[in-house]
Amino acid sequence: MLLGYIFDVVKDEQQAEKYLIDVFNDVPTVLHEFSEHGTNAYCKLQLMAKKRLSGYFKNVEDCEDGRPRTSARPNKYTDLMTAEQQLVFCGIHYQGKNTATIAAELNTNEEGVRRLLKEAFIIIRNNRDHAGIH
Amino acid sequence: MQEYINSGILETYVLGCASEEEAREVLYMKEQHPEIRSALEQLEIDMERIAEAGALLPPPGTWSKIEKQIEEISLRQPTEPAIYRERYNDNTQAPPTPPDYINVESESSHMRIHKVWRWVFAAVFVLGKIFLGFAIYYYLENRQMQEQLLELKTEMKQLKK
Repeated sequence: MLLGYIFDVVKDEQQAEKYLIDVFNDVPTVLHEFSEHGTNAYCKLQLMAKKRLSGYFKNVEDCEDGRPRTSARPNKYTDLMTAEQQLVFCGIHYQGKNTATIAAELNTNEEGVRRLLKEAFIIIRNNRDHAGIH
Repeated sequence: MQEYINSGILETYVLGCASEEEAREVLYMKEQHPEIRSALEQLEIDMERIAEAGALLPPPGTWSKIEKQIEEISLRQPTEPAIYRERYNDNTQAPPTPPDYINVESESSHMRIHKVWRWVFAAVFVLGKIFLGFAIYYYLENRQMQEQLLELKTEMKQLKK
């Protein structure tokens, strides 16, 4: 799962594997955080991956060509989102942007970005529940 | 409370783009309000679902690479988890002293030595070759001398006759 996420960010298999190894190498130093009550191991690993990818996000930002970027491959959840919702969700999730940057890009405020993000999560959840029934 | 949940701050926290202040606030609210804890757990499940949808199988050998690097790190670093190291520091109490013996039996069949030994081994090898050369030279020389001595003795016997 984590490799898929990293691949969607870096869009290169070898680089993604390298980042994956780096993330798992960081695990022993924060092992106690994984054993804390209520910690979701995957989300913790994903946040660690984002931290590792921060340098990559910065480079991408510097080379930004103005085109909207989504994940490297089609995703059944993001495909259901509107263009704005995709820009917000993928901007934060796959490009490491913060809400202020996206708000400026969309010419809106941070509340508006958070609303769009919430809508994106509602789409994921609705589809998730739908998939669970069948 | 519902207004806080609907504000979208929990989503930014789960995606790791909340500011430090916001993250602290979310963690505080999570501890205080079970509804927020539950909402966060749901969002984490949502994140797992989207990750599952884009999951990739790691190439063969990835895990062995991770394992190898973790082993190397664990050899370099102290073995106690960070939480215990911090506890020792906080209480200004010394960690338990290591046992006064050397572990002579290792699982690995390899040993690590200082690089300077490379030159020592090279010098020993070269000197060994030189001594071997001398030994062969003197052996042949000695054999030749003995042959000559034997010839001389034979000549002297013949002369006496």
